[in-house]
Amino acid sequence: MKVDLLRFVESGGCSAKISPKMLEEILKYLPLPHDPNILVDIDTHDDAGVYRVNDDLALVLTTDFFPPVCSDPYEFGQIAATNSISDIYAMGGTPVLALNIMMFPAAKLPMSAYSEILKGGYDTASEAGVRIIGGHTIDDSTPKYGLAVVGYIDPEKIITNAGAKPGDVLILTKPVGTGIILAGQKLGMTQEKDILEALGFMKQLNRSAAEVMKNFNICGATDITGFGLAGHALKMANASGVSITLNMKKVPLIGSAYSLLEEGCIPGAAFRNLDYADKDTDCDANLDYNLKMAAFDAQTSGGLLMSVAPGSADMVLSGLHSCGLEHSAIIGEVIERGKKFIYLYM
Amino acid sequence: MRVVDTKGQQCPAPLIATRKAIKESKEGETIRIIIDNKTSFDNVARFLRDNNILFSSEEEKGVWTLTVTKTGTGEPSESIEEYCTVAVPHFNKGNFVIVFSSDKMGEGDKELGTMLMSNFIRAVKDLDVLPGKMLFYNSGVRLGTTDSDVYESLKEIEQMGVGLLFCGTCVKFYDIQEKIKIGILSNMFEIAQLMASAGNIVKP
Repeated sequence: MKVDLLRFVESGGCSAKISPKMLEEILKYLPLPHDPNILVDIDTHDDAGVYRVNDDLALVLTTDFFPPVCSDPYEFGQIAATNSISDIYAMGGTPVLALNIMMFPAAKLPMSAYSEILKGGYDTASEAGVRIIGGHTIDDSTPKYGLAVVGYIDPEKIITNAGAKPGDVLILTKPVGTGIILAGQKLGMTQEKDILEALGFMKQLNRSAAEVMKNFNICGATDITGFGLAGHALKMANASGVSITLNMKKVPLIGSAYSLLEEGCIPGAAFRNLDYADKDTDCDANLDYNLKMAAFDAQTSGGLLMSVAPGSADMVLSGLHSCGLEHSAIIGEVIERGKKFIYLYM
Repeated sequence: MRVVDTKGQQCPAPLIATRKAIKESKEGETIRIIIDNKTSFDNVARFLRDNNILFSSEEEKGVWTLTVTKTGTGEPSESIEEYCTVAVPHFNKGNFVIVFSSDKMGEGDKELGTMLMSNFIRAVKDLDVLPGKMLFYNSGVRLGTTDSDVYESLKEIEQMGVGLLFCGTCVKFYDIQEKIKIGILSNMFEIAQLMASAGNIVKP
């Protein structure tokens, strides 16, 4: 029997994240633990938490899970695992161990789908050098899968979203548009080849991108997921006390994402992200509306956005290109803190 | 007249249907879009607003009807600032105007009156139904100066789409032309006309 996981979902992948506005509202009332060994916490909205064990070692911890973004269970497992591990890479860490988190409608789906999802997760984890040593499953109406991941990091070499400096240029390692492509797929508007392209990017580990960052001692980066390119850039600008300009003409888009936008296929999550970032974002009068909405498209397992000293930008870029990340591009700049955090133009 | 019925459809399907209808319709043609969920309505409204497409909307029992008349290409918005800070339009504008004839609210202690007025203006922002216009005359015009306590709130209300009109004569009388950076300067004829045609006049 052919299983189609997409039958179970209204919004899949990182589009299913709750609104950043709502999240901020809730987190405001949760006290943050105070401990000198906590090196990075939710305070700066970073990708993962970091805890110092001793002077040479800190642990990076993160978790992520979501409903299906594709029909095939194995592929869904791969994408969910790639996305979960990505936060460790974004901090410059080495992922080591993981636990499965799974929700599964045991009465509605064959057990083979369950094991295929786990197998996809396992294979991707192995590729990343991560050992999955356990997990937890709940019976639930919509399948959801992801990992809780632990990584190692040198406490002196943590890459955070607070590390962007004025004068830096911004490099993005994967094209954007997964949310648009997936929304179009559900409506039968996306061509098969674009779906395959999007799935390919979602399955691509950010490992080599992280290696390049470490080689060039980059200290500011984040990964692009549910809040969209502009949403994550905004969090970075805020955490770093700077402003960021994004040239939307330079941002690579997946396949026919632009023409889908032109047809009005703008996912709800993009509006939600726009709503969140609106007050801190300035859009140039000439900015094309479709490109503006692309900036807010929720990404599932997106690329890394790194803040790079202008002198080494070319070398970083060719480093990324030579390890197969040929869509990597310079898409913006870090500037002194201005009236708004984000400036979108084209 | 073209009717786009998106009942039962989830985001972004209603937006796709809306965009298609607008593209296909002739100039001057009226398009009626029916949407039965709030998220889709908000997103379609936001889309229309962002693209300077004028529309009216009404809600009845969880079903929204938007009416769009195609008028050729929309005028680009005047200021970029405004374009980008327009809040998601959850708000409806009602057929009433608020009149500010003084910079204080009510009779009595001056300090209390000033404080009450500040609170009132902040509360307007959160009303379910926003006023169509807000009119300021006599010492009421002082509320709109850049150094006023409620300047930021008024600016926000203006960005939510409410027109602010300041009596030009009064602004000149108090010699605060330099400090009025929001709204528009208006004349008594326009103010009288707006008051006469409003369904209700609210006066704090």
